[in-house]
Amino acid sequence: MTDPLITAKQLTVDAGSLRILDGVSLAIHPREIVTLIGPNGSGKTTLLKALLGLVCAKGEIVRRAGLKIGYVPQQFTPDFSLPITVRRFLSLFAGREAGDAALARVAVSDLSERQLSALSGGELARVLLARAIAGKPDLLVLDEPLAGVDISGEAALYRLIAEIRDELGCGVLLVSHDLHVVIGQADKVVCLNHHVCCEGDAHDVVRDPAFLELFGARGELALYPHHHDHTHTISGEPVHVHR
Amino acid sequence: MFIDDFLWRAVFGAGLLAAACGPIGCFVLWRRLAYVGESVAHMGLLGAALGLLIGVNALLGTAALAIVAALVMARASDRMIPAGTYVGIVGHMGLALGFVVLAMLETVRADLLGYLFGDVLALTAGDLYAVAGVSLGVLAATVLLWRPLLKAAAGGPIAAAEGQYGSLVQTAFLVLVALLVAFGLKVVGALLIVALLIIPPAAARPFAKTPEGMAGLAALLGALAAPVGLGIAYAADAPAGPCIVLAAGAIFALSAIVSRLRGELMKAV
Repeated sequence: MTDPLITAKQLTVDAGSLRILDGVSLAIHPREIVTLIGPNGSGKTTLLKALLGLVCAKGEIVRRAGLKIGYVPQQFTPDFSLPITVRRFLSLFAGREAGDAALARVAVSDLSERQLSALSGGELARVLLARAIAGKPDLLVLDEPLAGVDISGEAALYRLIAEIRDELGCGVLLVSHDLHVVIGQADKVVCLNHHVCCEGDAHDVVRDPAFLELFGARGELALYPHHHDHTHTISGEPVHVHR
Repeated sequence: MFIDDFLWRAVFGAGLLAAACGPIGCFVLWRRLAYVGESVAHMGLLGAALGLLIGVNALLGTAALAIVAALVMARASDRMIPAGTYVGIVGHMGLALGFVVLAMLETVRADLLGYLFGDVLALTAGDLYAVAGVSLGVLAATVLLWRPLLKAAAGGPIAAAEGQYGSLVQTAFLVLVALLVAFGLKVVGALLIVALLIIPPAAARPFAKTPEGMAGLAALLGALAAPVGLGIAYAADAPAGPCIVLAAGAIFALSAIVSRLRGELMKAV
């Protein structure tokens, strides 16, 4: 396998007397989708922030030289006091052409001239994903990127993330609660509860006793195979697939 | 020469300072950092007092302590106490201690109100050059740093996480705020200087479609508030600094009314 994009060894993060992360090790390789799952308060977002250098952690983080990251945070509220269009917002980070292309790739070109602060939650989620891919990152870090996206759009967006991975050849680190959708697309699942409970191939992890203990009956849900007779485009239009 | 007339010195000093406050104030507004400016101004009073106490220039003391305060306070993060509260505690300690020190310096007792509410009519030619130089310097720096500053304001944690926004830009931004606050102490005083940072941008907001448009309009409205306020002060024989802030407030009220009327009109059409 190629060298990892980013490697974390024995990361430990304390908040006062509370140990949020306890000796977590993780590596993400090019073209790999790593999905981080775990109950609320298990340290998923903290792990992401530690990898990004937003919180201090004990341990070692090695980034491949010149690593370019595209980040979609869990919470991002554009301030109403800042007048800026979606298009200008993207061009700030990646230039106008790359920004326009990314908006088109996520199928939200029609939002270009809208004010960033006037977007709905689902629209903002898509714009933020477009912004993250506009700079052609080596590593996409997505912290529950689909908050506010309706259920029918979710599956389409996860497929889109997998397609973008193929196009850019980037690694993807994803935090999500949508177990059943996520596990279908992930190459590797890491189950976190302050420490790494279990990790590995998606379909092995859902059978792991540590996973079943954490998620219980929801584990069954994750195992449930989904067979649809149609799919949806990002805008929600059904696409019928004849089998 | 206009420089010989105290009123013209006041108009140019206050006008340039308020114009420089407009664009930087936009970033203060976008990043919701008004409380930092407030506390930096409060610490500035302590700086002025200490400057007088140890016998160096009051303005130098103010600028030095304001810059240190801005850099320290912006890094305030404590999980138990919100950053704004922490910064407020430190700022008010500075204000209180500064006032105590100033009150104990017998010779400057008469200037206490001047430090709190400004004394722009007392600007000397040297003061005017200093205020004008700092204002133009801050404006130039704002233009030069525009893109990284805007990225940080628009992207917040995103820009930081992607390594696109160095702590150098954050430091530069805080130094610019501290410089305006320190030199603004002479113009509108420690209690009112933040008004010049937040009111013109707020008045510009309803009419702006781009960040640059908002910053430019904020600079213009700030520069307008100075002569209007000084005119009122002259006509009514009222304190100059507070009148400039009142003029800025009136411009804000007018902006709110006009944008509301415009909205009603658009709906009717």
